[in-house]
Amino acid sequence: MRIETTEGSARAFRGTGAFLWTEVLVQAHEELAMATAMVTQTVLLVFVYILNPALIGVALVGSVLFSTFTLGQRVLNEAAYIRIDHKANDLYLAGPMSPEGYFLGMAAGVLVVYLPPVALLGTLAVVVAHLTVETSLALLGLAAVVWLFAASIGYIFSTFFRDNRAIWAYASLFFNVFGVLPPVFYPFGFFPAYLQPVALLMPPSAAAALIQTRIGATALSTGQTWLALLGLAGETTFAFFFAVYWARRTVRGS
Amino acid sequence: MSAEPLWSENLRKVYPVKGGPAVEALAGVSMNVRPGERVALLGRNGAGKTTFLRIASTLLRPTSGSIRVFGYDVDSTPEKARPYIAVVPQEGKPFFHLCPREQVYTYLRARGLSRETAQSRTEEALTRMGLNEVADRLAITLSGGQRQRTMVATVIATQAPLLFLDEPTIGMDPFARREVWASLRDLTAKGSTILLTTHYLDEAEALSHRLYIVEQGRVIVSGTADDLKRSVGGTVKVSLPTAPGRAELFRSFGEVVTDGEGLTVIVTPERLREVMEITEKSHLTPTVGPVSLEEAFLRVVGRKIDED
Repeated sequence: MRIETTEGSARAFRGTGAFLWTEVLVQAHEELAMATAMVTQTVLLVFVYILNPALIGVALVGSVLFSTFTLGQRVLNEAAYIRIDHKANDLYLAGPMSPEGYFLGMAAGVLVVYLPPVALLGTLAVVVAHLTVETSLALLGLAAVVWLFAASIGYIFSTFFRDNRAIWAYASLFFNVFGVLPPVFYPFGFFPAYLQPVALLMPPSAAAALIQTRIGATALSTGQTWLALLGLAGETTFAFFFAVYWARRTVRGS
Repeated sequence: MSAEPLWSENLRKVYPVKGGPAVEALAGVSMNVRPGERVALLGRNGAGKTTFLRIASTLLRPTSGSIRVFGYDVDSTPEKARPYIAVVPQEGKPFFHLCPREQVYTYLRARGLSRETAQSRTEEALTRMGLNEVADRLAITLSGGQRQRTMVATVIATQAPLLFLDEPTIGMDPFARREVWASLRDLTAKGSTILLTTHYLDEAEALSHRLYIVEQGRVIVSGTADDLKRSVGGTVKVSLPTAPGRAELFRSFGEVVTDGEGLTVIVTPERLREVMEITEKSHLTPTVGPVSLEEAFLRVVGRKIDED
């Protein structure tokens, strides 16, 4: 009889690629969802363009970061939905596939499917805000970091819910509040000074502040820059490794 | 892989309940499943069947006791047991936005099978489950029975050494159920071992080599279907649709169950002639037939409930 793994033991991140592809197939059958991924950003961009066209470059940069941040909400929804409604986690995890491969595959699959709208906004940001190659690469890297943070948080949160109805409300609230209220779509300097350290500890607004500094829309002090960089790196690293740990731990309920 | 596919001893699971007494779902379950066996786990709703299956399939931790899959301790080394198992979860559904062909194929790939193997096993499983005609339709457009067949196809395609099937044929028509039975028999003939739960007693009888009946977290009976039938005092039932007040005539032959004006006597084949003579003398019209597993199950579990 064939045992489908080496040395009778599941390897770390085993199945990531296959589950990524599964997610791409699942999500790709819902074409409309891809369009809805841009609704909030588009509405905010229209408002900014009408109220202060000079800030449209900043808003476009913010919309890229907001887009990758809200992918965490989609990971949360997807992970909870297929666990609660389909029991698909039982099907996949009671087998040689690794729990962290399941988490990362799902997160990466969601990213791949929703990449076109992010790429469109990114292209507009590069053109409209006249981003240099270095700044464009920095935006790309920061967007990836924000995605990793949000996807990790989304997966962890998904394990706490037993009912999809509760998720719709809380997930939407969480990701919109942390993605819209802080200075993501508008210059960091507009945010109340006493709250600025808090904004620099929130990954989407920290990333936005760093890019805004590069394009001259904001002037972060050295201390603020380090706070943003270290906060982003620390929070994302912690969130990712905790999500990996949590994915392994929650396979077996309580 | 020389150890027994599944072995458990004194397995307990207690669920804490906020603001209330804890619920003991398993109260010391011991069982073993031998290579190539098909074993059914029977019991009423809430008896502990799914809890046992979830622990055995590494999806839930036991409170105490031991459980091993092919010699690997499921509690301390679940990652070693997982490559050997596949599960049809209770109420599991395929991805609604995948076709059955995509569902089976991508699942096999996620388990680490090569493209070629995954492809050939996918086609084989879809054919086996009679899903070829709908293999390229999104699962959301399929009937409940077709979705369930997709789930079973997904899992049997793995040909895993140990399969856990939690109510695998629920919602299926009788033809589809028999296809599943045939597939499971083929799998065990090839060396797989199967533990399933079901509420269809005909399925348990047709499919399983042995069965365990669980009630309130305890195994109350184990053995073959015939063993269970014998345990209720006989394998033949004599039904008398209208025999008011005649129960006493038959008490010495075996269990007598009254139902309104009618009654049923469970007897051994050896004493059937005597019972028939009494019915003839009393001008009663008997119907004779074998005791079904369902009747034996109802009596065994009913007796246990009465005792408790």
